Amino acid sequence: MIRDVLSPFTAWKNLFREPVTIKDPLNERPGSARYRGFHQNDLDKCIGCGTCETICQNGAIDMLPVDGVPAKLGDSGLRPRIDYGRCCWCALCVDVCMTGSLTMSNEYKWIESDPDKYLYMPGVDKKHWDNAELGYRRHEERHLSPGDRVDMPELHAEERIGSFIEMVKGYDIAQAQLEADRCVSCGLCIASCPAHMAIPDYIKAVRNGDYERGVQLLYETNPFSQVCGRVCTHCCESACAARHEGDPIAIRWLKRHIIDQVPQERILQLIGKPAAPTGKKVAIVGAGPAGLTTAFDLARLGHAVTVFEAQAAGGGMTRYGIPEYRLPYDALDRDIAVITAMGVEIKYNHRVGTDISMQQLETDYDAVVLAIGLHQGRSTRIPGSDHPQVRKAVDLLRQITTGEKIDVPKSMVVIGGGNVAMDIARSMARLQMQQYGEIRVTLTALEDKAHFLADPVEVKESIEEQINILDSRGPQACVIDADGKLLGLKTWKVLSIFDEDRRFAPKYDPADEQIHEGKMIVEAIGQMADVSLLGDALTEKLEWNRGRIQIDPNGRTSEHWLWSAGDCVKGPDVINAVADGHRVATSIHCVLTQQEAKI
Amino acid sequence: MVMQALYDTLKQRFPLGELTVQRDNLAFITVEAVRLYPLLRYLRDHEGFSHLVLLTAVDWLEDGQFQLTYLLNNRAKCQDVGLRVMIPRDKPEMESIHDLWPAAATYQRELREMFGIDFPGSPRLEEEFILEGWHGIPPYRRDFDTLAYARETFRDRPGRETRDPAQHMKQQLYGDKGDV
Repeated sequence: MIRDVLSPFTAWKNLFREPVTIKDPLNERPGSARYRGFHQNDLDKCIGCGTCETICQNGAIDMLPVDGVPAKLGDSGLRPRIDYGRCCWCALCVDVCMTGSLTMSNEYKWIESDPDKYLYMPGVDKKHWDNAELGYRRHEERHLSPGDRVDMPELHAEERIGSFIEMVKGYDIAQAQLEADRCVSCGLCIASCPAHMAIPDYIKAVRNGDYERGVQLLYETNPFSQVCGRVCTHCCESACAARHEGDPIAIRWLKRHIIDQVPQERILQLIGKPAAPTGKKVAIVGAGPAGLTTAFDLARLGHAVTVFEAQAAGGGMTRYGIPEYRLPYDALDRDIAVITAMGVEIKYNHRVGTDISMQQLETDYDAVVLAIGLHQGRSTRIPGSDHPQVRKAVDLLRQITTGEKIDVPKSMVVIGGGNVAMDIARSMARLQMQQYGEIRVTLTALEDKAHFLADPVEVKESIEEQINILDSRGPQACVIDADGKLLGLKTWKVLSIFDEDRRFAPKYDPADEQIHEGKMIVEAIGQMADVSLLGDALTEKLEWNRGRIQIDPNGRTSEHWLWSAGDCVKGPDVINAVADGHRVATSIHCVLTQQEAKI
Repeated sequence: MVMQALYDTLKQRFPLGELTVQRDNLAFITVEAVRLYPLLRYLRDHEGFSHLVLLTAVDWLEDGQFQLTYLLNNRAKCQDVGLRVMIPRDKPEMESIHDLWPAAATYQRELREMFGIDFPGSPRLEEEFILEGWHGIPPYRRDFDTLAYARETFRDRPGRETRDPAQHMKQQLYGDKGDV
């Protein structure tokens, strides 16, 4: 009763409240804070992956080039254009955007008399809502594709340090399909792969469980998938669209997964027999990835290929440089077996220059390829570096592979901060563990930790394996006592490595001197090609470029019969060697078939 | 607690499936299709759930089932209960409840049009609801390809063209380099 009497009066308080109605509804009526209005695109953040176009259920989005936005690795240079005649403002494009560049403003009024104006390129066609604060944004955490990579099962440091067993176990089928599911198939990765592998297609094959199709796709561009699936430098992953808001897709591991799933005999059936013999003969010097890729391609085209290899087995640096715990020899052997099954003959223990001369190859073959890699270690040339216990990393790694007896020192120092330095430090640590039950390996690098040349994961794993990594240390001398016994390495603190012109000119602080104890010192500061096999006459005739044989873009040297490929002319890794091998094979095939045509 | 108590009460009279308590005053109960009608009537007449909030469907394509959700509201107690019924996708038919709530007829008409679920006996079921002259599979079924429909049905504006990112990068960055 009382309430009924008072209620008219309580309504009075509303007089002092802000009105809920809009004063000027015709002019001021902003969309709500999360309104799905006209699109905005941050052109610098956008990578042109086209995922917005793919997801659009109205077919409203095109990807087009824009002036001033060049294609570069990891960015197609294309940007989305939306047909507002078809867009239904569902915002799937915003939800799926891999970088978060595409958003929607809360602006919703736009009047034009020319309907073509509604083919609209957000961020490029300047609009007053470009910088609008309000509007639809993708959810902070909930994304359409998961950001976290499926963890790769690996041996822990304690499990792996006593042996050379492969540390990465590989995905099982369920793990691989989960990881493959994260890929949006944009294809930005293809350009960054030196061999331009069909990455989105073979990831799709994993998704569909169609491993045979996967193998066919791998072999279209790379006969070294066992190797690259394990030790590739995976440039592709640094161009992956998924890396912007999470981990890049584990492309390398998915490649390994495919090749691991299909038995060797089936792989041979899938790639089929080589073409009919052409009667042309090609000699290849060196059975590394570059030489054998050239051999594979040429053999598939029907040419008779003979590979001359100085060592007792093929693979080059992938066998004699990369340690077994990263790349087991049987995996490498499987890749090589497919290549020899194409009719490639590999003459092992045949050192060109000693067992057969280059002149002989020139006479006996229609074309010759030099793919000899970089097997000679560089020396620091510091005082004492000629001591017998001062070794080169490449020589020592080769000895480990061949199973030659090595006097494993109880303590040692590695000079160098690249992947080869990590390889030898970790290999020797394993041998020390096996022999003495403890690890005493010190690694000194010129670079500071932030600028290490080795892969971050190599550095991390080395530290897990108790390698004592010291950064910014410059080697000054090998310390040798009066009896000629090696005691260790003297280093100074590095102040800077390069001069103003970016030339290599390290500066040291002699006051900060350290002696690192070691009964052996290993130099791992780089390699060069051993070109002594060429002989004086050919060395004279060839054109050179800064100590390397000069080649044209197709890998042909100044001698018409001689091509060169791989690390010895290009570098720096397996996948580049594979790409180089293809290039040289294409060039040789072209020359050989043109000769044919002339006759 | 309250919703659990309701579930326990109902359980004495009806065989029930799983209970999912979303909030203190919102829960979902899975029931078999044949149990739905008597359960709805009981909830309406004896438990105070007098209002049908909505009736909707979910297409579980991979499982070969449609899920129907009947959401009821008890105004006095400010509670909602949802009943979930799974029906086979290859025989999409369900008992009509228009005689419990006349408004259900409208929902059933919509579900018939958008999902192709039949409710025999429901008024005006055959009449077009919002789609006009629709042929082909109902558009809310998940195997309806929206993009293909859009491409077939609507013409592109003149001036539409697009590039594939990977092809464009090939052309711009490495297309002819190194090839003989």
